[in-house]
Amino acid sequence: MKLLLALGILGLVGILAVGIAGLWPRADFPDPDPVARGWRVTNAVAAIVLGLRLWDTLLEVLVYVVAMVGVRFLLVGLHWKGELPPVSETPLLRRSADLLLGPILVFALYVAASGHLGPGGGFPAGAILGSALLLLALAKGMERVSAELYEPRLESLEYLAVVLLVFLAALVLILGLRTPAAFVTANLLIALEVAIGAWAVLHRFSSARGEV
Amino acid sequence: MESLSALALAVASAALGMWAMVVRRNLVWKLLGLNVASGGGILFLVALSHRTGARPPIVGLGPGPAADALPQALVLTAIVIHFATLALALALVIVLTEHRHTQDSRKLEER
Repeated sequence: MKLLLALGILGLVGILAVGIAGLWPRADFPDPDPVARGWRVTNAVAAIVLGLRLWDTLLEVLVYVVAMVGVRFLLVGLHWKGELPPVSETPLLRRSADLLLGPILVFALYVAASGHLGPGGGFPAGAILGSALLLLALAKGMERVSAELYEPRLESLEYLAVVLLVFLAALVLILGLRTPAAFVTANLLIALEVAIGAWAVLHRFSSARGEV
Repeated sequence: MESLSALALAVASAALGMWAMVVRRNLVWKLLGLNVASGGGILFLVALSHRTGARPPIVGLGPGPAADALPQALVLTAIVIHFATLALALALVIVLTEHRHTQDSRKLEER
């Protein structure tokens, strides 16, 4: 019975895939270079994400913020009452966190700021920043890091980033601003917002369920 | 032809994830299946936008046709939304477990 079900699901997904992929052999792609040049950047993906399809990105950022607000709201009453497990005492993790944290932060900044020229952008940079915060929390313990990174202030910073992003999008969409500076600013704001959201998820989950 | 094998892998992992969502009764396992199925969908779209010998969609990276940039941009959106909704769903599962003391979907439906 389970085998039949598995085969049926595989067949359905396969039919769906053939439907999405279209006829075989597939048609040629359009050239993305004119799109990128039209927005005065080098990376065509950045030109689409922050230019042609800016509405999509804007609403995606709003969905992200709403989901993070939902996580905060749902987990606000749940606090771990049992004994916290001790932070691991191996010097390896602490030393490597000390060594790696600076390069990771600089790399995240680089990925965000050069997203319009090559591979990169705000979302990967935010994920890298979030993983840097995870490394810090693993090495120093969540209690110490969350005492240093005061969350309500971070929260207001996240909302400020979203407001600034909406303002920038209005400049691009209504006034037709097409400069690389707008792309760099938007990428940095998105990176900030994604990193703070990821930190909020990490912090809330670990404070509701003990330690990372 | 490497995109064809990637397409087959994407279909297989999407089907595997959906199968886990249907068959497994634990809510966390269902979310794990959703995760795998979403990964399959993302891989499918990226593999669809690639051709053999295509260059990345960045101006000045050599001759030849470029990979399609639109699915890559949309997949970026999909990944972030997937992360956010997964976090929200896991928070909901935590709250549900606190209140009902079970993660079995059939037991949750009974009362």
